[in-house]
This record gives sequence, C-alpha cells and structure tokens, in this order.
Amino acid sequence: MERIDANPTHEYGGFKLRPGSPLPFGATIFPAGGVNFSIYSRHATSCELVLFEKHKPEPFATIPFPDEFRIGNVFTMVVFDLDFENIEYGYRMDGPFNSAEGHWFDKTEILMDPYARAIGGRDVWGEEPDWDNIYPHRARIFYDDFDWEDDHPLEIPLEDLIIYEMHVRGFTRHPSSGVKYPGTFAGIRGKIPYLKEMGVNCVELLPIHEFDEFENSKISPVTGERLMNYWGYSNVGFFAPKAGYAASGRFGMQVDEFKALVKELHENGIEVILDVVFNHTAEGNENGPYISYRGIDNKTYYMLTPEGYYYNFSGCGNTLNCNNPIVRNMILDCLRHWAADYHIDGFRFDLAAILGRDQSGAPMNSPPLLETLAFDPILGKCKLIAEAWDAGGLYQVGTFPSWGRWAEWNGKYRDTLRRFLKGDPGVVPEVIQRLQGSPDLYQWRGTSASVNFITAHDGFTLMDMVSYNGKHNEANGEGNADGEDHNNSWNCGWEGPTDDVGVNRLRFKQIKNAAAMLLISHGMPMILAGDEMGRTQMGNNNAYCQDDEMSWIDWGLLDTNAELVNFYKKMIAFRKAHPVLRGSTHFQNRDYVGSGYPDISWHGTKAWYVDYSDERPIIAFLLCGLHARGGTERDSYIYVAMNMHWEMHGSELPKLPEGMSWHVFANTDAQPPEDIWEVGHEVMIENQPEFLVGPRSIAILVGKRVGE
Amino acid sequence: MGIEVTTRDEATIVEISGNLDANTTPQAQEEIMPLIVPNCILVLDMSKCEYVSSAGLRLLLTVAKRVKATEGGQWCLASVSAEIMDVMEMTGFAKFFKTFDTVSEAIEATRKPL
Repeated sequence: MERIDANPTHEYGGFKLRPGSPLPFGATIFPAGGVNFSIYSRHATSCELVLFEKHKPEPFATIPFPDEFRIGNVFTMVVFDLDFENIEYGYRMDGPFNSAEGHWFDKTEILMDPYARAIGGRDVWGEEPDWDNIYPHRARIFYDDFDWEDDHPLEIPLEDLIIYEMHVRGFTRHPSSGVKYPGTFAGIRGKIPYLKEMGVNCVELLPIHEFDEFENSKISPVTGERLMNYWGYSNVGFFAPKAGYAASGRFGMQVDEFKALVKELHENGIEVILDVVFNHTAEGNENGPYISYRGIDNKTYYMLTPEGYYYNFSGCGNTLNCNNPIVRNMILDCLRHWAADYHIDGFRFDLAAILGRDQSGAPMNSPPLLETLAFDPILGKCKLIAEAWDAGGLYQVGTFPSWGRWAEWNGKYRDTLRRFLKGDPGVVPEVIQRLQGSPDLYQWRGTSASVNFITAHDGFTLMDMVSYNGKHNEANGEGNADGEDHNNSWNCGWEGPTDDVGVNRLRFKQIKNAAAMLLISHGMPMILAGDEMGRTQMGNNNAYCQDDEMSWIDWGLLDTNAELVNFYKKMIAFRKAHPVLRGSTHFQNRDYVGSGYPDISWHGTKAWYVDYSDERPIIAFLLCGLHARGGTERDSYIYVAMNMHWEMHGSELPKLPEGMSWHVFANTDAQPPEDIWEVGHEVMIENQPEFLVGPRSIAILVGKRVGE
Repeated sequence: MGIEVTTRDEATIVEISGNLDANTTPQAQEEIMPLIVPNCILVLDMSKCEYVSSAGLRLLLTVAKRVKATEGGQWCLASVSAEIMDVMEMTGFAKFFKTFDTVSEAIEATRKPL
C-alpha cells in the first residue's frame, strides 16, 4: 500500500515538497521517498535549504522552509526527487545580529548541519582547499545501513582492557608501514595482525570526527614545512567520520570504510574507543569563521559571558554550552549514533570537566549531561572515560561525578610513576596507591575507574621521556612556549640522541621499567602507540601540528628496538595470563580466603617490611594468587620488586607455601634474552631467600610449583 | 547505465555498463533480481561499468544475500576495474564478493561450486 506521505503537497521552483518530520534531526532518506531535512534554531526568524551539486562552487537551488512547515523551533521539510548521492546541502538562517545579546545570525553565510552524518570539503587529507569556497564544509546525505552481520560491541570487562592509543593517520602513514592504504582507516585494517600479536584488546583513536587539518595552518619557521591541525581536537561536525582519514574519502565513502574497520577490529577481539571532543568547536572565538553552530543559534551552542563574549575554558577560543538542554541532547544523540550505528565500544571525553560546567561556566554538583550519559540505555554498556580536567583550571581526577559509570584518565598515576622512575624522593607512599588502582582516589568506585598511563599523545613519548629533561617544541613555531613544562622526565645523562652505550642501555631499562609497572598495576593500562618500539618525537611534547615523520610511526623501529617490542609483548601476555593482576575491586590487605597470605602485602629490602625512608627506595609487593578476582579464581603468587635507586639492593623474598618456589619472569636489569621470559616458562632462581634487584630496575617473580 | 543479459553454457551473464549509482540502482535492481532463481549461475560482467557508488555497492550486496538465500544459486563478479576493486577493498565490501578477471574464468569456476 502506498503511503500518503509519499506524495508532495507543495512545490517551489520546480522542487516537490511536503511538511517534514522534526525527528530525527539532520537529513534522512525517507523510505516513502524524498529526503527529510530537519534543523533546530530557537532564535532564527527564517531558514533556507541550500543545495549544491557535489564539489560545485555555486548552489543549484535555494528552497525556503515554508513557515507552515516549522514545528516549534524546528524547520523541517521533505524534498522529493533529489539525487542525494550527488548533492551537498547547507542552510541559510536569518535572525538578529547583536553580539552583546549573543546573536550572530548572518543570512549570507551557508551553514553546515550540526547533525550532518557525512561531511565533504576535506575529502583527501592535506589537499589544498579552494580558499574562496563559499561553503567549505558541506553536509552530505548518507545511507545509515551497513551489513554488520553478527557484529556486536565486545563488552570486554573494564579491568581486562589493554588500551592502545593511536592516531589514525600517524599509525600507518609512514612509508615503512607497508600497508596498501597508508594513513587511513583501511590502513589500520592492514595492521590488525600486528595489534593481535601485541596482544592489546582495545584501540583508542584520537579524534576521528570531521575536522579541518588546515585550521590555523602555517609554515614552520624551523623546518619550512606546513604545520597542520594534525591531532584534530577541533570538531567541524560531531556526527561524521573524517573523510580525509578514509582512503575512500574522495569517493565519499568514509562512513562505510570506518564501519568496516570497527567490524574487523571486533572480529579480532579488539574494541574501539573514540576520543570525543565536546568541549569546543572549530569556530574559534569572535574572530573565527562561520561553519555551523554560530550562525544557527550562537546563544544555544556556546557558553557566553554576560557581555556576549565566548568563554574559553577549552583554551581553543570557545566553549560548547554542554549543559544547555539542546546541546545536551545533541551530545546524547551523537554518542547514541556512534554506539548504535558504528558499534563503538566506548568514549574518552576530551577536557571532560567542561561537561560538568553550567551555562555560566560554574562547576555543577550533579551535572545533568554526565548523569544522562551514565544512565542512557543505548550507551548502557559503553565505556565512559573522562579526561577529568579542563583548560579553565578545573581538575577533577578522583572527584569526577561518576554514578559508578565514569572512569578517568588518571593524571596522578602518570605524574607519580614518572617521578618514581626518575628516582624522586618521597614518592613511595603515593606509588603504593597508584599501583593498586589508586584506592585513595577511587575507594568506592573500584580499580577500573582508573585509566593508568605514563604517556599519551599529549606529552612526551616514552622514549622521549627518558631522553629529554625539557621539551623541544621549536618546530611548532611558537618559540618553544607551547606544550607542558612539568614533564617529570629524565634524560638519563644526555639531552637527546647519543651514542653513549651506557645512557642508551639505561633508557631501554627505564622504558622496560615503565612498561612493567604499567602492566602490573591494577586499573586499565593505556599504551601510547609506538612506545613499544621506542618511538621518538625528538623531544617535542606537543606534536599536535606535526604531520610528518616526527608524528608518524616508523615501522623500521620494530627491528631496531626489537628488544622493547619483545618486552611489551610478553608483559601484555603476562597481564592477560594472570587474573590476580586484574581485580575489579580494591585490595583489602587481609587474607579472606584462608591462604595464610593477605591479598596484597608490601615488602622492601626485608620481607614484610616497607622502608619509607628515601635511603632505600626499593619497594616490593606480593600478590596471593588464591585471592585472584576476589578469591573466585586461582592464580600463581606474584612478587614485584622495584628498585629506583642507582645502586643494587637485595630484596628478601617472602616465604612461599610448601612445595612452591620463586621463578623469574622479568628482570629489567638483565640483558636480553634474560630480561623477560615466555609466560609459563619462568626460570627458577637458585637463591630462594633473596633476589638482587639491580640499579634502577624491576624484577617480576612468579611463585609456583615446579612444572606448573 | 545499461544492462544486457545473455546466457553462456548454464550461466547468465549480466553486463552492467556506465555508472551504478543512486540514480541507476533501482532500475538495475529491477532487472537483476528476477534472474535470481533456484540453481541460477549469475555472472555480473563489470568490464563496462565505470563507477559504483555507495548505492551500487549496496545493490551488489543485496544480490549476494539474495543468491545466498536461493537454493543452488551461485554468483560472482567478473572484469572489475582496478578503481572499483579498490573502493570495494577500502570499504570492506570486497570480502562479500567473489571476483574473477574475466567472464570465462568466472564461468569456469562456477562449474565447481563457488
């Protein structure tokens, strides 16, 4: 039976129209025929739909929304017989222009749909755009359907996650990657065997939403190269995958290509977390361009001062008005879109403290947006991870409103572990907290509230953390003024690359120390892609603009630094093999299974005794395997001794149950191949009562019966 | 877009020429779907097909699914241009399709079950 709404009711300039449906927002292909356009604006007085043929400089049609089609504050209509694969659409909105009142309407500007599911204009990464384009970022219409077969988000328990943070382009753009489509979603598909070999089970992608790599682009005074917005923490559109990250972007098929990547990662047991940037947009401050939001309803989308200026809690010119009910719904719609249509497993929220500010910028007690996301049915199994601070000085590590759902990037883990690694005095008590999943911060939230990391995209790579005392960001063109100054890094005796064997040896050891501690800590470990092969950015700790070999992973390092790769691989395997390392609840520091050992106990040079003085900075802990996962699983005994002193110290080993003996799994002081062993092939030590822990090194021992 | 249907041995050869996109897909679908019958051997000859859009890829996938659900049905693509093959690979559609360099090779292969 033909539907009644398959028939037009109006005509304008040869286009057949009928009143549309206000929901869903955006442009939707209607099964009954036609494309439904729907856009919100509270303050606009009128709205026009502007249609372009793909890539054409001038529009071929402008269709005003008849006033009788408007429902509430939503302009909506169905346009029939559109060649939707070959058009791009935008809107012109009329309304007041009065910046003191917060209104920025300009009916000459063509505006992108905030709900655009595909966006053209930067179809091929780095391809010089037409700077005179009257509509640079163009909304497109795309099918939502995709053959997911039996794919489903993996729902790996938080405590079992091993996160690998990567930049889509940087991961395979280097010629050494050997993939067919370098620098793209399809390129990552080509490297899935590597990810599996490493053993990670989750990739966290730096922003993949449409952004403009040419935003603020300029020529580097140092290298003469063009500096780009390489990281992409500046959204043009929240609902669309970045076309320039798709090999098929020039055919407009980025949606399918990204979905194919998610599906194939899932097939291989790897989850996908997206880094989402809801704190600001690419429209900048008062001097920024009109892309979308500003011209559609500035007062709704942005936090404004009483005088009508943009608040800048993001450090990027404007602040998205996250707790305005309209914006809150947009964020919810957006995340639901990624969860339902793209099968995304979780989200990491950039500068998430902003999401807890009210419309005047003040931090709220129970921010409605964060609560909504915590309880949303569609996001019900998605990981929600906050970067629990913002550029306005709000620092909420340990106190981010969580409703038992939100995890946090644990910045204190990073800072403490770095200080411990370089041998700072007085950090032992805090290290003890961090290694246990930071019970001091997350007492009621469990260990998996903590994403543990020592390095992330923002800051030094691990190799640079052990090679530079200070940042070297000259190539960014800001006189080395950008980037973090408090890095807690140590160059091991020489600033930058050196031929000094001793220094290089120590650097490798420090990297292994970091990897070892990260992977034996309770909480969710996050590895920065490339750290496992000793990737350097030549001391640049803020490579957001470096689209070149400084940022791209050089796959030749797999051979050069095979020793590190091997160490990481085995540490990851060790974590996966031992549930006692992956409890979701905090230790109780007591024996609740009757094994004769507490779940965790702390030691030092002497067994059962921790020396907190700075003279002997060696600490060790013993995990009782019978307490694995709250006593529900059986595991080996694990002993980890950490000596961050420059001298060797003996660590008296706690006595094991009858019939068991200590075996070495890893010893970062030893030269390969004795630095780390295959899981299950640990080597029994001769001197059972004591282990000599070399200078600045870590030993991981397994207590088991011979032959186990 | 044009569609020409011929038979060779037991196979039905469907030659698609021009662009397979949102404009032409409905017509192509109308002509191809009736050919999917029990024990059909369908070879889509793409040698004259210049472009396959997102809608076109969806049609091919629909054909794949329909054939799979049809008793004894077999199908494959032949003579796909490098560019179209590329798009299929990038977007992950390629794994749903069996492709051969020539129609003859495709027919030869269908003698054995695909």
